[in-house]
Amino acid sequence: MTTVLDPTGERRPAERAPLPRPASLRGRTVGLLDIGKARGDVVLDRLAELLAADGATVRRYRKPTFARVAPLDLRQRITEQCEVVVEALAD
Amino acid sequence: MQLPDGLVAVVKRDCPTCLLVEPVLRELGAAVWCQDDPDWFDGDDTSLELSHRLGVETVPTLLRVDGGRETARTVGWSREQWAELTGVPGLGEGLPDHRPGCGSLSVDPSRADALEARHGGRLASRRVQLADLEDEHEALFDRGWTDGLPVVPPTPERVVRMLRGTTCDPGEVVAVVPPDLVPCTVEKVAVNAVMAGCRPEHLPVVLAAVEAACAEEFALHGLLATTYFSGPVVVVNGPVAARVGMNSGVNALGQGNRANATIGRALQLVVRNVGGGRPGEVDRATLGNPGKLTFCFAEREEGSPFAPLAADRGVPGDAVTVFAGAGVQPVVDQLSRDAESLARTFAACLRVNAHPKLPLAFDAMLVVSPEHGRVLREAGWDRTRLLAELDGLLRLPAGELVRGAGGMAEGLPPGAGDGDVPKFRPGGLLVAHAGGDAGLFSAIVGGWVAGETGSAPVTREVRV
Amino acid sequence: MHDIADLERRGVVGVFLASEVFAEAARAQGAALGFPAPHVLVPHPVQDRTDAELREVAERVHPAVVAAVTAAPPGAAGDDRTRRSGG
Repeated sequence: MTTVLDPTGERRPAERAPLPRPASLRGRTVGLLDIGKARGDVVLDRLAELLAADGATVRRYRKPTFARVAPLDLRQRITEQCEVVVEALAD
Repeated sequence: MQLPDGLVAVVKRDCPTCLLVEPVLRELGAAVWCQDDPDWFDGDDTSLELSHRLGVETVPTLLRVDGGRETARTVGWSREQWAELTGVPGLGEGLPDHRPGCGSLSVDPSRADALEARHGGRLASRRVQLADLEDEHEALFDRGWTDGLPVVPPTPERVVRMLRGTTCDPGEVVAVVPPDLVPCTVEKVAVNAVMAGCRPEHLPVVLAAVEAACAEEFALHGLLATTYFSGPVVVVNGPVAARVGMNSGVNALGQGNRANATIGRALQLVVRNVGGGRPGEVDRATLGNPGKLTFCFAEREEGSPFAPLAADRGVPGDAVTVFAGAGVQPVVDQLSRDAESLARTFAACLRVNAHPKLPLAFDAMLVVSPEHGRVLREAGWDRTRLLAELDGLLRLPAGELVRGAGGMAEGLPPGAGDGDVPKFRPGGLLVAHAGGDAGLFSAIVGGWVAGETGSAPVTREVRV
Repeated sequence: MHDIADLERRGVVGVFLASEVFAEAARAQGAALGFPAPHVLVPHPVQDRTDAELREVAERVHPAVVAAVTAAPPGAAGDDRTRRSGG
């Protein structure tokens, strides 16, 4: 494990922080990334309806296999097309 | 750890003097810690922590401890000194009277930095443990600590080594760094200097640059927040420049020299990390310029027609001058053989700084190359003379500058007058000397807004 | 979790849904990656449920999903099934 010294003024936490969140999903493009496990799509189908009702534009994506990280071109495509992504469903 | 009262010794088995005094230590019943063999005596200091804490430089070191505090110390073997410290006469029968000790492992150069980092307690910065699966370089990007290029991970060992480059106390506050107005210690500068890739010998220059850039008149907060291109440009004068390996010659404003590149970068990382001046947040530059990664060079004092820039600004010797600069504009003149002609070339190129119709608005720095410098030197022109000539040549007729003149809406408001207007405010044009031997080219580094709303150049001594 | 860690790095706000049995694995993985990616837990198991039951699961987690990818209004209480790091 590497220890480094914080180079900042230490006014913020030194952990890697999640991105700032939008105030709401209205008008945002939300990607639903199906990791490809059985029956996960049923949950995502309903979630897509609910998010659309929230005013979000929903786009659907699917990983070739849940066993590996999403391929680079898929991650790049999501980055180009979406502001928010929901990945599901690991069970 | 509390030391036991009585006699305490630190030894290493690899030291012939320690072997020699082993029977004496056993006879005295001293509490003995060994640096290289945990089984030789009862005390195990193979971690060297005790040796480091006690500041042991030589083994054997013999201490007297009363009430947990050291009250006497001797190093090596001396019958007389040991007798005095222990109060036991006639120690070590058959041993020579005196034998010097050996170097303590705790001051071995290969271990000292790690010991200092681990046990030194001098470092105040928050320690951040990177997670097991984090790539250390990615981890530093993820935390928002880099300028877009990889940085050297600032481990405590590296920071301890960096701090050896200065005699300043790590806790000393160098400057209050905009925009967040955070008091920045020598240690924080050292952390960022490690990240930038500096060597310890570069640290004093970085410290001076940070101090200069945070001076009130440099207006760093405004310089960061502006939509304009500029960022701090660092010019280094004095023997320190060559001593730490800076480049003032071929490609002086370019890439490839570690000192130039990392000193300028360290300043920018301090502004980013300590001050919180990040692009897209406080830094609102429309386009920026590549010098905002790093822009630092040494003035070529050898063969210069000018006195050193810093000396002319009142700080002789080792010094940095910071200037709010924006990129490099070439000046080509391959034919002028006399200073008058060359000055006209400089003036013509300087006139267009920011906009040919905007006088007194933007500063600039003219970097004169050695081949152009030779023309000035042979004519006996120093900096003052050149600036005076340029001032005369850069009196612009107000009629050419008003809005609409030349078919350009940009310009001075109507009623700006009929006379001449100087292009530069007094002190708004800096002149330096740098570059390779060959090339009849100089350079203009455009500056930021002049005067009270903008930035004034600042010169500070480098304290080596 | 790796995907969300990477997509957040690329500027996409992310959350992942996992079954409750993954709670400990997700925590451990987050610690190892140095990025406790926001996630929402759903009741286990998933695969043997009817479509109607799964749709109901979606309806139940929907508020937590929205909360995980939006900024909570000041003073709002967090959902206890939603872990968000870095505050």
